[in-house]
Amino acid sequence: MKRTILGAVTVPLALACSACVTIEPVQPWQRGDLARAEMAFEPDPVQAAYRRHVEFSKEAASGGATLSGGGCGCN
Amino acid sequence: MALALLCAVPPAMALQPGDAPPALSAPRLDGSELALATRRGQVVYVDFWASWCAPCLQAMPALDALQDRYGAEGFTVIGVNVDTERAAAVKMLERVAVDFDIVLDPQGVWPQAFALPAMPSGYLLDRDGVVRFVKTGYRTRDLPLIEAAVQRELKRQPGG
Repeated sequence: MKRTILGAVTVPLALACSACVTIEPVQPWQRGDLARAEMAFEPDPVQAAYRRHVEFSKEAASGGATLSGGGCGCN
Repeated sequence: MALALLCAVPPAMALQPGDAPPALSAPRLDGSELALATRRGQVVYVDFWASWCAPCLQAMPALDALQDRYGAEGFTVIGVNVDTERAAAVKMLERVAVDFDIVLDPQGVWPQAFALPAMPSGYLLDRDGVVRFVKTGYRTRDLPLIEAAVQRELKRQPGG
């Protein structure tokens, strides 16, 4: 029983420590890739506007991407 | 989660006024090496910039003008480019032409040594190579602050 409890504690501890030593935040000078256009949530604003227009026209879903509300078209 | 935070690599301490950066060198655009130590005896502003950093590009012409104004008194600027691609830096320098020395550091050795807290960041080193002023971020209204720090350091005698 003791061995089981010890294993239940030490194994996750060892795994957590071995895995989390690689946690390194992106440094300020390494943000070039994040600043690329293709990394944006909406890389193409024109296409995004078109998609929103289609959602509004065909599905009566207005403002779902950026506004509060359930997309009922009444907000 | 708490365990993960405990095990995470602690962030390096950013250089503060009174600290001295380690011996650093990096290649200029033409391939020649620039060592920070060779600027000892001068007041040096180490400016970290990248092509993707808009405020950096705003700061560069202003720093170039400062070097023009105070260069004769012993003030010099080193622009450390941290782009991973040289072409991005070159393209940006075609748009924002500056006279001060530019070194390329795609591996991020210099910003790591300074433990850069943000982009852009600038470090004013006195004639003894000690950090005397740190500027994080850049807005046009920050220029008088930087200029005042430069004037102060130019008046200070080495070792003083």
